[in-house]
Amino acid sequence: MERFTVELIVANHYGVLNRITGLYARRGYNIESLYVNVTENPELSRMLIVSEGDGYIRTQMVRQLSKLYDVKRVILMATVKETIEK
Amino acid sequence: MKRNGAQIVVEQLCVHGVDTVFGYPGGSVLPLYDELYKNAHRVHHIITAHEQGATHAADGYARVSGKTGVVIATSGPGATNLVTGIANAYLDSVPLVAITGNVSVPLLGKDSFQEVDIVGMTQPIVKHNFVVRDVKALRDTLREAFHIANSGRRGPVLVDIPRSVQEDICEYEDAPPLEGETQPTAPFDTRQAVQAIRGCHRPYIYAGGGVLASGAEAELTALAERLSAPVGFSMMGLTAMPHHHSLNLGMCGMHGRYAASVAQSECDVMLALGVRFSDRATGNVEAFGQGRVIIHVDIDLAEIDKNIPSHIAICGDVKAVLADLLRALPPMKGDAWLARVEELKQAELTPPVADFSPRNIMEAVSGFCREDAVVATDVGQHQMWTMQSYPFVKPRTLLTSGGLGAMGYGMGAAIGGCLADGKRRAVLITSDGSFGMNLTELATAVAQELPLLIVILNNGVLGMVRQWQTMFYGQRYSQTTLDRRTDFPALARAFGAAGYRAESLPQLADILGRLPAGGPAVIDCRIDRDERVLPMIPPGGSVQNIVRG
Repeated sequence: MERFTVELIVANHYGVLNRITGLYARRGYNIESLYVNVTENPELSRMLIVSEGDGYIRTQMVRQLSKLYDVKRVILMATVKETIEK
Repeated sequence: MKRNGAQIVVEQLCVHGVDTVFGYPGGSVLPLYDELYKNAHRVHHIITAHEQGATHAADGYARVSGKTGVVIATSGPGATNLVTGIANAYLDSVPLVAITGNVSVPLLGKDSFQEVDIVGMTQPIVKHNFVVRDVKALRDTLREAFHIANSGRRGPVLVDIPRSVQEDICEYEDAPPLEGETQPTAPFDTRQAVQAIRGCHRPYIYAGGGVLASGAEAELTALAERLSAPVGFSMMGLTAMPHHHSLNLGMCGMHGRYAASVAQSECDVMLALGVRFSDRATGNVEAFGQGRVIIHVDIDLAEIDKNIPSHIAICGDVKAVLADLLRALPPMKGDAWLARVEELKQAELTPPVADFSPRNIMEAVSGFCREDAVVATDVGQHQMWTMQSYPFVKPRTLLTSGGLGAMGYGMGAAIGGCLADGKRRAVLITSDGSFGMNLTELATAVAQELPLLIVILNNGVLGMVRQWQTMFYGQRYSQTTLDRRTDFPALARAFGAAGYRAESLPQLADILGRLPAGGPAVIDCRIDRDERVLPMIPPGGSVQNIVRG
């Protein structure tokens, strides 16, 4: 199991968060961290969701998320193996 | 021009070619029903006995016609009664638009009378759902709803319209239905698949509901003949090829036909078309995929590699993919493979016995009906017997609850299917258990004067659960022995339908011979309670574990 982050561009609309977290909940995947903010375009929000899963789970989540009507874009962020501190 | 919300709904139904809707009125849809009253010549509304029946009817109507089914219900209990029907349409990818009323906007979120959050409740079982809080958004929301429901992988969409929005007035102009795909797929490439098929010796086509959804029945038969490939079906795909075609092996899976399941396990290339590899269809996942190349074609990318890892995946519309394959693939001869398939077909034949068995009842009923009659089923043993032995010849003539397995589906579905088929004779094959769940819809069938033939395979038990208790629970028949004293023929007559009882084949033949031409008729067929559905591949097992009896 690896930690992975999904970046979503979604409609900035009530109930959207529910639809997305519901998808994780139905499959029993825990969300470790969640960030939501409205973008420079007020009709859209950006979400960052961190959870754990293997390759199968990552692929399934990206594909299931992209089927949601309110989800405009899904990006699976590359797993960060190293961080450099200054 | 100025229109209120209710008028906009009716206008949009007409714009989308909807001439028949199913539903049940109530407090939160009064403005909408007032408009339906004024527009009865444009939109035919069928009132059912229960909202669940209305959703199943809209589902059955959609399956037969290919058009989007529409169901209307009031807020609260009206809306919650739709839930089973919506889930059923979701799991079987049936295009459905459910319109619910809700309490007026100022009362939303206050636990008002007959208020429920139906959008929240149905979220996991719809392609999408909407609450319309502003009448100005209503027209385009309905256009979106119809577009989502009947494009890409089909499915249900719910639109919740508060009563005040139905009454609010705004400027309205007609706008045409939206076109194109809601989820455009990338261009597909069939080259790898062509290569794999050209090099194989034992091709097998596994065809599902996607073949019917994309209207690819002709391409399926053409490709099967081109490749000399036998075809096995998931339950949702069963009517895509006439039963008498020599390459049609029938349904495969847990209760599939012997030849279909064994041939599937012996093929070297499996071309899976518009299927989702449900656990009931695959059994043991490892054994299912071993020793063969699986080519998976589906319009829904999320189905690729979800249940069965494929070697070659093609995400696209089945009809377009098949047209591409037909262009690229030359005729293939597979004499040894076809001989093996023929051997398997011979091995599944059993000598005829003139008893009152489900198989013989099915033969009598199908012999009586037109060969292209719509057939609905409920869920359980009778459903599997229908899949195994009913001789389907025309696509979209089978209405059955596949993914959800909802007992009680059949009555509503048969009503919707019969209406979509121009009120010609339709059949419901059901059982005493399933029929008991939604038999109130007999009232609807009588009121609509539908020539429904309802055949109850009555064994006094919940046969499928009992079968599992026989096989896996030491014959401890927990709550499956009903032995109710319901007099179904008398009950049918009380509803205004014809009612009969048959205990032998000659009796059944006699009843079929004197059925009234119009209106529903119920035939209560008394069968043996220990009759099992065989063959059976036990859950999680493979074809090695097949029980043939």
